[in-house]
Amino acid sequence: MSRRDAPGMNAAAIMECDHAVLKAHHKVRAAAECIMARRYRSVPVVDDDGHYLGVFGVNCLLRQVIPKAAIIEDGLDNLGFVNDTLADLHQRFREIETQPVSVCMSTDVPIVHPDTPLLETLLLLYRSKASLPVVERDGGLLVGVITYWGVGQKILDA
Amino acid sequence: MVFGIDPMWYAVSLFALTYFLIVTEWLNRAIVALAMACLMILGGIINQQAAFEGVDFNTLGLLTGMMLIVGVSKNSGMFQYVAIWSAKRVRARPWPLLVVLICVTALFSAFLDNVTTVLLIAPVTLLITDELRLDPYPYLFGEIFAANIGGAATLIGDPPNIMIGSATGLSFNAFLLNLGPIVLIVFGLLLVPLYLVWGRGLRTDERHRARVMAYDERGSITDPRLLKQSLFVLALVMAGFTLSHRLGLEPATIAVSGAALLLILDNLPRAADDQSKAVERAFHEVEWTTIFFFIGLFIVVHAVETTGALERLAAAIVELTAGDRTITAMAILWISAIASSIIDNIPFVATMIPMIEDMADAFGGRAQLEPLWWSLALGACLGGNGSLVGASANLIVAGFAERAGHPIRFLPFLLMAFPLMLLSILASSLYLWWRYL
Repeated sequence: MSRRDAPGMNAAAIMECDHAVLKAHHKVRAAAECIMARRYRSVPVVDDDGHYLGVFGVNCLLRQVIPKAAIIEDGLDNLGFVNDTLADLHQRFREIETQPVSVCMSTDVPIVHPDTPLLETLLLLYRSKASLPVVERDGGLLVGVITYWGVGQKILDA
Repeated sequence: MVFGIDPMWYAVSLFALTYFLIVTEWLNRAIVALAMACLMILGGIINQQAAFEGVDFNTLGLLTGMMLIVGVSKNSGMFQYVAIWSAKRVRARPWPLLVVLICVTALFSAFLDNVTTVLLIAPVTLLITDELRLDPYPYLFGEIFAANIGGAATLIGDPPNIMIGSATGLSFNAFLLNLGPIVLIVFGLLLVPLYLVWGRGLRTDERHRARVMAYDERGSITDPRLLKQSLFVLALVMAGFTLSHRLGLEPATIAVSGAALLLILDNLPRAADDQSKAVERAFHEVEWTTIFFFIGLFIVVHAVETTGALERLAAAIVELTAGDRTITAMAILWISAIASSIIDNIPFVATMIPMIEDMADAFGGRAQLEPLWWSLALGACLGGNGSLVGASANLIVAGFAERAGHPIRFLPFLLMAFPLMLLSILASSLYLWWRYL
């Protein structure tokens, strides 16, 4: 039996299968309420057939309210001269709240597969500082999510 | 004979291959230049010592020194401060804003390298135009032009001028006094089409302008101490360039001295460990790829020069223009402008410099070559405006625009930029003819 096939030694053993999931057509407003209500940092986005597309998270929301000129590569590294208020930020959010999450989700976050070895999964979790979608190697179906809290609990319970 | 080939043909073939690979971008230009330089030495065209003699350390020193000064001083936030302050002085009205932003770009690029200038100005432009709900295209287009036009005004504004100044000994003041007037004219000319095509149609409302007016430009200053140090060193360096001939100093000495002084001032209060990190960050700001590209290119051109190929080419050009300095100057101006709008102007200028030097006898001495140097400088710098790939600054701005969701397409840019570039070269032709020929 190869190391990858060893039971309990891979991502599948520590993933949560009942984690919240967003559909690509869900509106940004609904998605924002979903992550705020459950205090999630990010939630995977799937198509109608459950195929993984990306993640929508707190950073996606921040990206919508911070000026693009500061977020783009080599952009402004200081916005200390802009005196925006919460009302200004809310106004920016209102401009995008009716759009589908697919327009502002992140597609470049790392993912793992059910057979990704345990420590490799934890290293990715540590480096990405956000929940990891677990995606089937063939077909791209989302099968679970690995969260800090889930992993922490599993280590404590072991 | 090199591998059974005549040395001149071997060198010229490698030289042509260098150009081909740079133009097609099959390989990074620094790799191409260094590899071809090695092949010149391995093929026995020149030995290592001769190769090093071909490297213009004055150009490299000036480039490195200025990159260090700008790399350190930009952390103070002073460039954003000037851009925001200027935008507020015109009360964020769209057309005056466009004029003032391209003026700032032109002014900065006259004293900093063009890429650094647009790296500092383009994000502020995107922020302000976003706030004003304006299409950033006219602003970014204007800034591309302003960067290349402003860079033509001084010895340190654009690499072609640095190379020409270093090879000829023409001073900082000579560049400013000879190219400054035509740069101002070309800049003024640029405003007319910008206004007719875009300026008169730019609209925003009071509410959006009020948001820009609420910017506190002092908030962009992230390090007041560094700001004072940077302004002090920049003032010293500019004074040094202005007085360089009187002081008997080369531009590289002034730039590197300025960089050393700024690094000392910036690092004196730091602990040893912090100094190491800060100095490492500062040297990281030097574009080493560009520096090594220059080194390789200088060796390649020097190798071709030693075979006599460039001398022959220069003689052929003089024969073609019947030894007429006016025709030669115009030919250099137009050919370098069109070539620079398509290919990298650095290898072009590196090739033209020894060729023009070889024309000295035909025109009655080195002093008679001055109009040809101005032709080359204007053609190479202004030609960069001809297309999106004409200069590195153009591609940097295009990259910003793309990332901000407002892509600048090659063809629409070309259709507007190329005629404008030709207009600037026409104005330069009249200026050169009136003033020197």
